[in-house]
Amino acid sequence: MTEETPKIFQISHNILVHVFGPMNDFLGGLPEWVASVFGVGLFVMAMVWVGVFLKKDYVNHGRPYKSIWTDLRLWTCLSMMPHVIVYLYFR
Amino acid sequence: MEVVGLHPVDIVIIGVYMVGTLLLGLYCTRYVGNAEDFFVAGKALPFWAIGFSIVVSDIGATDFVAVAGAAYRNGVSAANFDWMGSMPAMVIAAFLFVPYFWRSGVFTIPEFLGRRYNSAVQFLNALIWVVFLFMMLAVMQWLTADKLMFTVLGWNKYVALWVVAAVTGIYTFSGGLTAVVFTDVVQLVVMYVGGFGLLALSLWEVGGWSALQSKILAMGPEYQDHFKLLLPHNTTGPFPWTGIVFGLGLVLAVAYMSGNQVIVQRTLGARTEWDAKGGMLFGGFMKSMIPLMVALPGLCALVLVPALGPEEADRAVPEMIRIMLPAGLRGLMFAALFAALMSSISGALNSVATMFLTDIVGQVRKWAKRAPLSERMGLHVGRAMTAFLIISSAVFAEPIGNQEQLYVYIQTLLSFFQGPVLAILLLGIIWPRATGYGGLAGLVLGVASAFVLNYTPGLFPQKDPFLFMAWWSFVFALIVVVIVSLLTKREPAEKLRGLVWSSVVLDEEAQKALGERISS
Repeated sequence: MTEETPKIFQISHNILVHVFGPMNDFLGGLPEWVASVFGVGLFVMAMVWVGVFLKKDYVNHGRPYKSIWTDLRLWTCLSMMPHVIVYLYFR
Repeated sequence: MEVVGLHPVDIVIIGVYMVGTLLLGLYCTRYVGNAEDFFVAGKALPFWAIGFSIVVSDIGATDFVAVAGAAYRNGVSAANFDWMGSMPAMVIAAFLFVPYFWRSGVFTIPEFLGRRYNSAVQFLNALIWVVFLFMMLAVMQWLTADKLMFTVLGWNKYVALWVVAAVTGIYTFSGGLTAVVFTDVVQLVVMYVGGFGLLALSLWEVGGWSALQSKILAMGPEYQDHFKLLLPHNTTGPFPWTGIVFGLGLVLAVAYMSGNQVIVQRTLGARTEWDAKGGMLFGGFMKSMIPLMVALPGLCALVLVPALGPEEADRAVPEMIRIMLPAGLRGLMFAALFAALMSSISGALNSVATMFLTDIVGQVRKWAKRAPLSERMGLHVGRAMTAFLIISSAVFAEPIGNQEQLYVYIQTLLSFFQGPVLAILLLGIIWPRATGYGGLAGLVLGVASAFVLNYTPGLFPQKDPFLFMAWWSFVFALIVVVIVSLLTKREPAEKLRGLVWSSVVLDEEAQKALGERISS
C-alpha cells in the first residue's frame, strides 16, 4: 500500500487484512498433497454426483435410444478420467 | 521482431479458408426464416455440433498466444484454465443449469433470471454481459490485427482489422446461430490439424517428452515447478492451487459455462435435452485437448527459443511458427489462428445481438408499455444489431484492446461480475425462497465487493488476485441473497413452477407442463 492509495481502500485494507492475513498464513503452510486431494477430489466428486446422486432418468432425459453408449453417466466418467490421470501425473 | 513472410502456397491456403468459411456461412442463410432460427438455430442442433461449437467459440487467438506465453513463464499450471477450468464446470452446467434453461424455452440467461427474479435483474445482467462482450470483440479484433498480422506478418493492421471484421460480420449477419455453429465445426478441424501439427513438430525437434522435461528442469531452480499443475498458495506466480480450485474450478469456470450466453446459447439450440447435456460433455472432452495445442508448444519454446525470456513470452507461438513450420503448414497454422479468432467473434456477436434484442430492447419496450417486436421485426433488429456491433467494435478496437497484460486484463474483467452472477443463478435454481429483491441486492453488492477486493492492496500474496476476487465476491453475494431474501416477501408458488430444482425434478404436473411447452 502506498500514499497514493485512495483513502477508501486504505480503510478497507485495515479492516480486511485481519480476515485475509491469518487465512493466507494458514493456507501457505499446508503440505502439497492437500492441493492434489482438493484438485483430484473436484473431478471425483463431480463423477459421484452424476453417477450416484442424480436420477438415471433425469441424467438421460430425452435420449434417442436406450443403450450404454447413450448413457450420459458413462460419458461423464469417460471425459473425467483423463483429467484425474493428468492431475495425478503433474504433481 | 523478424517478420515471418508467407509463401504463395500459404496465402492461397488462408484465402481459400476465408472464402470457404464465408460461403458456408452464407449457405446457412436458407435456414433462417424467423428470430428463433437466427438466435437458437430453430432448436435443431445435434450434440456433436454443440460440442464442437462450444470448444471453438471458447478458444480464441488469445489462447494460442497468451496461454502459450503463460506456459513459457509459469509452466503447465497455465493449462489449469482448460482442465480444472472446464470439465467439472461443464458437468455442473450440463446437469444443473442447462436442463432448466432448455425446459423453460428461453433465448438468454438474463431472460431466465428475469422470469425467476425480476426485470431489473434481467436488464442489469444483460447490460453487464453486453458491455463485457463488446469489449471482448474489440480486444479479439485488435489482438489479431496488431499482435498477429502486423507484428508477425508485417501486414497493415488496419486493413487486417477490417478484413476480419467484414468476413465474420457478413456470415454472422446472414446465417445467425446456424452459420456460427456449422462454420465452427469446420474451424475446429482446421484448428486441431494446425495445433497438433505444431505440437508434433515441436516435440520432435526437442527430442520427445522426456527430453523436454529434463532440459527444462536442468535450466535452474526457478524452473522446478514447471511440471506441477497445482502450485503452493503463497507462490509468486498468478496461479496458486487455492485460487485454481476455488476461484477457477468452483466459481469462474462454472459461471462461464453456465451463465455465459455465448456458451449456453448453443445448448438452447439443441434438438433435445439429451443433446444439450451431451453437447456440453462432448465439448468438455474436446476442450481438454486444447492445452496440448496451446500450452505444450509454449513449453517447447522454452527449450527451442530460450532467448525470448519471460517478458517476451507471448511471442512463443509466433516464433515457433516462424522457425518450425514449412510453407503450406505455416499457412494452415495461420488459418487455424484465424479460425480461432473468427469463431470467437461470430459467437460473441450473435450472443450480444440476442441479449440486446431480448433483454434490453424487450425490457425497455415492456417498461414503456409497448407491444413486443414481431418475429420478422425481431430478425431485422437482430441483424441490424450484428452489423452495428461488428463495425463499432472494430472502430474502438485499438483504444480498448491495446493493453499490456491482455490475459490478466480479460480475466480481471470477468472476475468483477462472474461470482455474483453465479450466486444468483445457483440460488435461483436450488433455493425457492430466493426473492427478486435478494437477487438484485446480491448482484449489485456482489459486484461492488469485487471492486473493493481488486483495488484494496496487500490482501493476497499475488499481484493480480482475480481468482480470489471471484471466489470471495461469490461467497459475499450468496450471503447477501440469503439475508435479503429472508427479509422480503416469499415469491408465489405459481411463479416458481418449472423454474426451480424441486418443481422440475419432483413435481410431475410441472414436468408435464414443461414437456407440452417444449413439444409445442
